[in-house]
Amino acid sequence: MIEIFKAKSVITVNPSLPRTEVIAVRDGRIIETGSLESLKPWLKNNEFTIHDDFEESIIVPGLIDPHLHPSMAAVLLPTYFITAMEWKFPWGLTKATTTPDSYDKALLEACSTPTHKDLFITWGHHELWHGPISRDRINALDSHTPIIVWNRSFHELCMNDAALEYLEIKEDDVKNSSQIDFVRGRFFETGLSFALQKLNPYILDQEIFTEGLRKLKEVVHFGGHTTIADMAVGLFDFENELNAQKLIYENENNPFRVELVAHATAMAGLSGGDHVKGEQLISSLNTHNSDHLRFDKRVKLFTDGAFFAQVAQLMEPGYIDGHEGEWLTIPEQFENIARIYWNKGYSIHVHVTGDLGLELAIDTLEKLQFEKPRFNHRFTLEHFGLSTPEQVHRLSKLGANVSANAYYVHELSNLYANHSVGYERASSMSRIGTCFRERVITSLHSDFTMAPAHPLTSMWVAVNRINEKGELMSPEERITPQQGLEAITINAARVLGLDHEIGSIRSGKKADFTVLSEDPLEVDPTAIKDINIEATVFEGRIFKI
Amino acid sequence: MKPLTVICGYLGSGKTTLINHILKSTSFPIGILVNDFGELNIDKYLIENEDELTISLTNGCVCCNLNDDLGDSLNFMLSQKVKAVILESSGVALPVKMSNYGTSWPGYKLSKLLTVVEGRTLKQLLSDKFVSKTVKSQIIQSDLIYINRYNDFDLELLSSMNPVYKKEEELDALLENIFIETDTVGEILPFVEEHNSLKTEVLLFDGPINQEDILNFLDANPGIERLKGWISDSENQSWLVQVTRSERDFTVSKYQTTSRLVVIYKKDLNKKILYK
Ligand SMILES: [Zn+2]
Ligand SMILES: [Zn+2]
Repeated sequence: MIEIFKAKSVITVNPSLPRTEVIAVRDGRIIETGSLESLKPWLKNNEFTIHDDFEESIIVPGLIDPHLHPSMAAVLLPTYFITAMEWKFPWGLTKATTTPDSYDKALLEACSTPTHKDLFITWGHHELWHGPISRDRINALDSHTPIIVWNRSFHELCMNDAALEYLEIKEDDVKNSSQIDFVRGRFFETGLSFALQKLNPYILDQEIFTEGLRKLKEVVHFGGHTTIADMAVGLFDFENELNAQKLIYENENNPFRVELVAHATAMAGLSGGDHVKGEQLISSLNTHNSDHLRFDKRVKLFTDGAFFAQVAQLMEPGYIDGHEGEWLTIPEQFENIARIYWNKGYSIHVHVTGDLGLELAIDTLEKLQFEKPRFNHRFTLEHFGLSTPEQVHRLSKLGANVSANAYYVHELSNLYANHSVGYERASSMSRIGTCFRERVITSLHSDFTMAPAHPLTSMWVAVNRINEKGELMSPEERITPQQGLEAITINAARVLGLDHEIGSIRSGKKADFTVLSEDPLEVDPTAIKDINIEATVFEGRIFKI
Repeated sequence: MKPLTVICGYLGSGKTTLINHILKSTSFPIGILVNDFGELNIDKYLIENEDELTISLTNGCVCCNLNDDLGDSLNFMLSQKVKAVILESSGVALPVKMSNYGTSWPGYKLSKLLTVVEGRTLKQLLSDKFVSKTVKSQIIQSDLIYINRYNDFDLELLSSMNPVYKKEEELDALLENIFIETDTVGEILPFVEEHNSLKTEVLLFDGPINQEDILNFLDANPGIERLKGWISDSENQSWLVQVTRSERDFTVSKYQTTSRLVVIYKKDLNKKILYK
């Protein structure tokens, strides 16, 4: 049986045939896209049905997010979001809350419904918008419900009296601590680790965590994805993460596939701290593969610290206030670990945030290319916060790919211009235009929960580069809507090594589509993020949104 | 409150050697935490802590790792009889950051913040493209600098950073300083052993290793001072191996593990017997 999907227009992202009207599908694969006229030879002697639900809609290739973290999302989604940025969820819109008064109001309204057993945990507080948080401020709103306010950057939290009491945190135990401000109820840095230890039984509770993964499944479908990648399996606990994902996603009604990329250090940790054994372990993981979950010869490495926490490693002149970035891997060890995987033919995905972190990755790649040249190796720079044009040129010459978090420009460029690295570097963070000019295969990701799991939002930022203050940041680094769409479809597929199967609409590929109400290449570019997503089609099956 | 001493220093600077000096020279039990980023976990096996209270940790940032191994281990040490805890930081850890565990973790107070530098490589590290700033910060942010291979060292390098430094001959004084101002100071014994000529190697094996292989290996290598690790024999039984100059001990290990050994030796090592 052949099924025919009719659309107002099909954007194929196949340069040889960019626009069509219908797509014919058999057994979950595209047999041909074109017009009803051009399909005649297929239809002559075969039964077929025509789906005309999407007759007034635009069909694009199924959207792909090549880097997010289901386990991190599963921890965060059960919390209540009060955020300075707008977040769209299947269960409703989280409106932007941008003043201290509106923050208090939002917290007061929500806190009567606990999120974690008796506890109410909210995420998203940011001092610049919401004002300083303290125990007294929360007590004044509600002193009976145990309330925990978790900072947007994840690096601080604040509790009211009821929460301190509930978690049995006593003044005598913590009063000497320099990173716990008991009077204000604030826990940061090591103090935060202490608080999280008390909270772990709630946020990592099996039931709540599984519920979080289920919510993520809704979020991923709602964002129009048909493929996502878990870009660091083993973040918390390899076995638990894998089993929980099997439980939720290995189900014929799951509307997307999850590509799994193992966390090198976690895998070495399971192998007595030995990266050679860690590689052997990764190479054996494909025994877990199923229709919805798949390991491959891919690995995740890290160079420098988190971009949101301002611990990216920078080249001169560094941060305005002179503070230092952090290494997540000792540089000479980074090279040794990368060599193990390079020589075994892996695609190496490297978390890089600052330009010095990026430099380490590029220098290493150059060395490895010299020792053992490889082609189409898919060495991919993930996040790509700060970079220089010269680095983009080098990585192009070395054949590397980029998977960028464009959302940095939207949420952080104004803040970082004024408080972190200055305007010149802040305005050109996520230097995506240069990547396209240098012919680097470039995809966009959310790193959810660092940015919304909504590819059209990533595309919108990359195309417009308008920050939360409404300023246009480095217009030269904008990309065209066509390039933006490529970045969340075919280029994302290339980064994951799946471009032969997904990422565009052409004869032979999997029938993965996203159905939109408007044409993302024709609408006013500033409206791309607001385009309604009507449905997804995963391997030929329709999943309405 | 337990005193926490933090030891920083780049890879190969001699942190583990220093910790072994300290362990040999103190008469009270000390807990050791090794934070090594999950890199090849040698340090843990090299530390000769008779109380076996050495815990190895992996590193992570809170936004990508909610399980704080270090915090868990600090809590564990509080429940143990150790009188002091030493935290051996990873090669790129910043002392100020690590010292937060001493000043912030309930039940602890910061005793000393110490960085080990290695005389021969410091100059090169201070101009390294990636770690020069980190290594410099490690020196500036510490209370004390312990200089390994002092004879190869150019003091001028440190003059601009103005640290309080100690060389190997001043180790006794250093040890006194390490646990100063704590309510649990024990007796500090003088440092006697000469370590300079010792070398260390980690041996990893793919196939089975039997007890007799180890005994043959020891007989062929009279220069071995110490050997520790695990082996898995041809019957798939795992053994914990502990060898000193006077003892050769094999105990059944309940952990199924691949064979790996840490060898501390003088002069050369003949490994042929093990890798036949
Ligand atoms: Zn990530
Ligand atoms: Zn992080």
